[in-house]
Amino acid sequence: MMRLALTHPLHLVIGLTLWSLWFVAIYGGLSVACAVAPPAPAQGALTAINGVLGLLTAATTALLAWLAWACLQAARDELGRPRFVAAVSAGLYLFSAVSTLFVGIPVIGVPPCL
Amino acid sequence: MSETAHTATPQDPQRLHEEMQEVWGNPRGLKALTIVNHTTLGLRFMVTGMVFFLIGGILAMLVRTQLAFPDQEFMSPEIYNQVFTMHGTVMMFLFAIPMLEGLAIYMIPKMIGARDLVCPRLTSLGYWCYLFGGIILVSSLFLEMAPDSGWFMYTPLSSGEFAPGPGSDFWLLGITFIEISALSAGVELVVSILRTRTRGMSLDKMPLFAWYILAMALMIVVGFPPLILASIMLELERAVGMPFFEVAAGGDPILWQHLFWLFGHPEVYIIFLPAAGIVSTLIPVFAGRPIVGYRWVVVAIIVTGFISFGLWVHHMFTVGIPQLAQAFFSAASMLVAVPTAIQVFVWLATLWLGRPVMKLPMLWILGFLIIFVCGGLTGVMLALVPFNWQVHDTHFVVAHMHYVLVGGMLFPLMAGLYYWLPLFSGRMPSERLGRWGFWLTFLGFNATFLIMHWTGLLGMPRRIYTYETVMGWEIFNLLSSIGGFVMSAGIAMVLLDIALHFRFGRPAPRNPWNADTLEWANTLPPSPYNLVSLPTVHSRHPMWDDPDLPRSTAAGEHGLPGAPFGRRELWGSDPLTGKLREVIHIPTSSWWPFLAAAALAVVCVCLLVRMYPLAGIATLTAVGLLLRWSWENGAHPRAAPDARVAPGEPPLHSRTMDGPGLWAMSIALLANGSFFLSYLFGWFYLWTVSPEWRMPDTSPLSLPMMLMAGVALSAGAVWLEKLVNGLRRQDDRGLASGMLAITLLGGAQVALLVWVIWQADLAATETAHDAVLLLGLIYVLLHGALGATLTLLQALRVGYGYVSAEVPFEPAVVARLWRYNLVVYWIVLFAVVVMPMWLGGGA
Amino acid sequence: MAWLWWGMLAFSTVVLVVITALWLYAFRGGRRVDRSSRDEQRIARRWIIGGGLLLPGLSIVVLLAFGVPAGQRMLPLPLPDGQQAERIEVIGHQWWWEVRYPEAEGGEVVTSNQLVMPVGEPVDFHVTGEDVIHAFWIPRLGGKIDMIPGRTNVIRLEADFAGVFGAQCAEFCGAQHTNMQLHVEAMPRDDFEAWLAERQAPPEQSDDHAAARETFVEHCASCHRVAGVSDGQLGPDLSDIGDRVSLGAGRLAMEEGAISYWLRHHQQLKPGNRMPSHDHLDAETLDALGAWLETLSP
Repeated sequence: MMRLALTHPLHLVIGLTLWSLWFVAIYGGLSVACAVAPPAPAQGALTAINGVLGLLTAATTALLAWLAWACLQAARDELGRPRFVAAVSAGLYLFSAVSTLFVGIPVIGVPPCL
Repeated sequence: MSETAHTATPQDPQRLHEEMQEVWGNPRGLKALTIVNHTTLGLRFMVTGMVFFLIGGILAMLVRTQLAFPDQEFMSPEIYNQVFTMHGTVMMFLFAIPMLEGLAIYMIPKMIGARDLVCPRLTSLGYWCYLFGGIILVSSLFLEMAPDSGWFMYTPLSSGEFAPGPGSDFWLLGITFIEISALSAGVELVVSILRTRTRGMSLDKMPLFAWYILAMALMIVVGFPPLILASIMLELERAVGMPFFEVAAGGDPILWQHLFWLFGHPEVYIIFLPAAGIVSTLIPVFAGRPIVGYRWVVVAIIVTGFISFGLWVHHMFTVGIPQLAQAFFSAASMLVAVPTAIQVFVWLATLWLGRPVMKLPMLWILGFLIIFVCGGLTGVMLALVPFNWQVHDTHFVVAHMHYVLVGGMLFPLMAGLYYWLPLFSGRMPSERLGRWGFWLTFLGFNATFLIMHWTGLLGMPRRIYTYETVMGWEIFNLLSSIGGFVMSAGIAMVLLDIALHFRFGRPAPRNPWNADTLEWANTLPPSPYNLVSLPTVHSRHPMWDDPDLPRSTAAGEHGLPGAPFGRRELWGSDPLTGKLREVIHIPTSSWWPFLAAAALAVVCVCLLVRMYPLAGIATLTAVGLLLRWSWENGAHPRAAPDARVAPGEPPLHSRTMDGPGLWAMSIALLANGSFFLSYLFGWFYLWTVSPEWRMPDTSPLSLPMMLMAGVALSAGAVWLEKLVNGLRRQDDRGLASGMLAITLLGGAQVALLVWVIWQADLAATETAHDAVLLLGLIYVLLHGALGATLTLLQALRVGYGYVSAEVPFEPAVVARLWRYNLVVYWIVLFAVVVMPMWLGGGA
Repeated sequence: MAWLWWGMLAFSTVVLVVITALWLYAFRGGRRVDRSSRDEQRIARRWIIGGGLLLPGLSIVVLLAFGVPAGQRMLPLPLPDGQQAERIEVIGHQWWWEVRYPEAEGGEVVTSNQLVMPVGEPVDFHVTGEDVIHAFWIPRLGGKIDMIPGRTNVIRLEADFAGVFGAQCAEFCGAQHTNMQLHVEAMPRDDFEAWLAERQAPPEQSDDHAAARETFVEHCASCHRVAGVSDGQLGPDLSDIGDRVSLGAGRLAMEEGAISYWLRHHQQLKPGNRMPSHDHLDAETLDALGAWLETLSP
């Protein structure tokens, strides 16, 4: 696969697009899982659904954080417009990573289907 | 139009002006309906928006009159419900969005150093759709048939059973019509900003306002289609009886809420972003220094654009969604506070480090800040689920959203209007009357809505037509009503001030505020062509770099001077680097947009009065007009029959393979894709969540037939790609015959689909399943038909010589549609035929 | 929940005042020292990171940490010691409330536009809508929940003290959304049981009102239920109407003669309500009908 240069403007939208996909996946996955096989309310937050959502969240956060770091490195090596694009992308990746974590945190303590 | 050599030497500005005027000038009299120029149309958008704003304001005053005292009988409940529904609808759809679009249409080309938007006739179509749609919608008030289910039209209250009158139809058809306008403006603003910036204006040198408008336009493109889909579905339910939202037939009213808020929440940011763009433009000018943290602002804009699509469920916290899902949306809603706070502190730091002067526009900015921060804070509170459960649907929410919308849109808009007045009239605003207007508006607004928070906390629900003395709400309501009238007086004073200034305002000097952006290089007031010659930009502050630009551009000392070939020309540049790529020739004044919009208006009215055969005829007429409009393109004598350009200039876009039309097609398909994804969402939503969903054990659609149709479509699409690749190599052998053959393949797909639908014998008025299925089939059918029609026209155009190896542009645009059709068709086949077979009907 | 609100209000006020003050100060700062661009960058970054990232970031973390657990209380989670929450069903109609006690000992109890609940224990309200979407909301007891046709939502509420609470439909539901109020009364468990028990048997019928009863059966019975007399389901159940505090879902206070006044003027009092007008019945008939209905009290 051809590698997308870290100074490419597409990086401006990839981070939050990944965030959106993740968001759709957890919201949609939760809704479908609760419609198909809701766990007993007595289980609280310790259910398979929470587990899968939590793993997905952790993986997405890690991916976004890695991309943020890569873009930041690229920004250091560049000047002018490429630096601008890489730096803004790095900021956006970082924001996406933190957002993923922040939005996903409730899977730790909230029962899934009530 | 002689072909004189154009060099960078100064020429007689008057002669140049006359040359430009001849090509770019607007017709007068009845032919003014044909104008496509962005300056004129932007102004029309804004003036029309102001008229609707006044209508919406009068409706607001009627509401406040009714609620001023307890047990009032000023209006009957039926009329009151129509009034508040129309107040919300008019303000959101007929004022806020078109007004800001009008401002963007007016300002963006001037700011990025272009002479017009890239699809001027589309601007015109958008305006007429807006005007006709607005008139149709508002006329319902005078017929006493206005929609009365609240501006978000929750079904079943808005359904045929509980709203049998034509009110809901007025809303659904009128709003869909107006959204055509919003979408067309959205598409061309995106393409214009990406592809027509002047030389050297790379992505990092773009004015922040252009970033904001780019985000707004993309959000319109992605955010409006869900509502268009929902409106079409509800109208189909009302008119034909397809039960998308009827529980007993397997539909679900909550689907409407999802689709509505999927549009509705981004809409708030669609309104806020351009307003914030005004703030980010004005603050550096009045602080006398560049904005600090340009990159931070860009990050904030992009973040807002995305995150705002992940919040829609926070309008639905009380519908019984699982707590965990609510927590996701609650957290996402709070996240939006971060980019907003970044902007607020960027503005603060800019003022802090600059030498601010308190002119009238800045007063409005200050008012914006106070009101908007307050609205933002109550917004964060509302994102908290338990608090939301308490105040949802009370006057607290009414107060909150007026703080956000009036603070976040009206106040910056006023600041922007005062700031840019010289660019409308060539005159400066007054300081005195304007200040009175500001203070009355500001104080009146806070008197109305600050108190209303408290009324809401006391438990007063929204949308009640009266209340009793025992509730203890009367003094607060009275104060709110008085505040409302004070605010109206303030608005009236502002409008009076602006009207008077056209007559008595001091003539503006060049660049009166010492601004840094390119729109101030225009003459004041501007000409239809903006700039005689197009400057090259070296930083984010062209007017600070070279204050002499107004003179030197008028003298033709920069690029693309005059109109030597009698064409309307502007530069097409690389979206990232701002390097020149082509000369774009754009079309001139035309009747087609007006006629097409008029035909669509006839469709709208016919559907309202349920004259369906006539509506069908009008639809065909509209399609015919649009196709006839598309005929004047490429090497057509009315477009650009010859390809000459001045020495040193890049080639004409119609002689390349990557002109702005291709970008416009892609952005339009992005909107279309959003529509399609909303449809898929609806399908899967009903399948998994709808309480009484019924799905037959075997699909009623014939899989072999569907596969054959898919093969025909795929073969056509592949063939078309091959032809386009040939054109890329300057090879147009077999172009006409190939196009004809592809048309036949497209026709075969359409015929097979018609057969599939006919043979499936769907009970689309009985079950939601069959209704959704039919809707999806009709969607791919119409797309197949459009693809086939366009290739047929291409075959003809090859015959006429409008398309060839020298003019290879159009097939590439059509191929993009075929590519889209291909992907969508196979997804539909997989989602509605294969997946149910696979997973079984139950689920 | 009140502490949450006052905390948020105090914090928001401070934020608003501080930001406004900073802006005003920035405006009135007058001539400033010339700074090097490096200094400027440092100052700007401090503002943006401090105000733009940390301030909102920390605020929302704190808010969510308090807010999410606070919402848990309203979830119908199983109670700790195998206890069962009282189940009350509420159904929204245009524009009145149907209230059912399916688990009452001795058979289901049905009433309308009034809701009686036990105090000091969790009650699960199972709510739905009959025609359009309504919303169930007792402001003093906590959050609201939508009543959606085809779905049943559950919300758990608990009254901490005995008393009367107002309630009001909170989702716009058409012409008479305003006059869709519910009278809620929380009382000790014993009184609550007694209240239910009173309604187990059909109201006693005396022969004095035989004519009115016939009028009712002829003109009203297809819509209204009176236990032992009729079984109409379209309008409110009237079996205990004499015992209610208001007519028309909060529109008219209940007193002597109120019912016959309502029967004559309900389309003026509550325009658009679904009950047809009774202009074809003469005044005496309506008075008698009203007088009989007023006796329907357990």
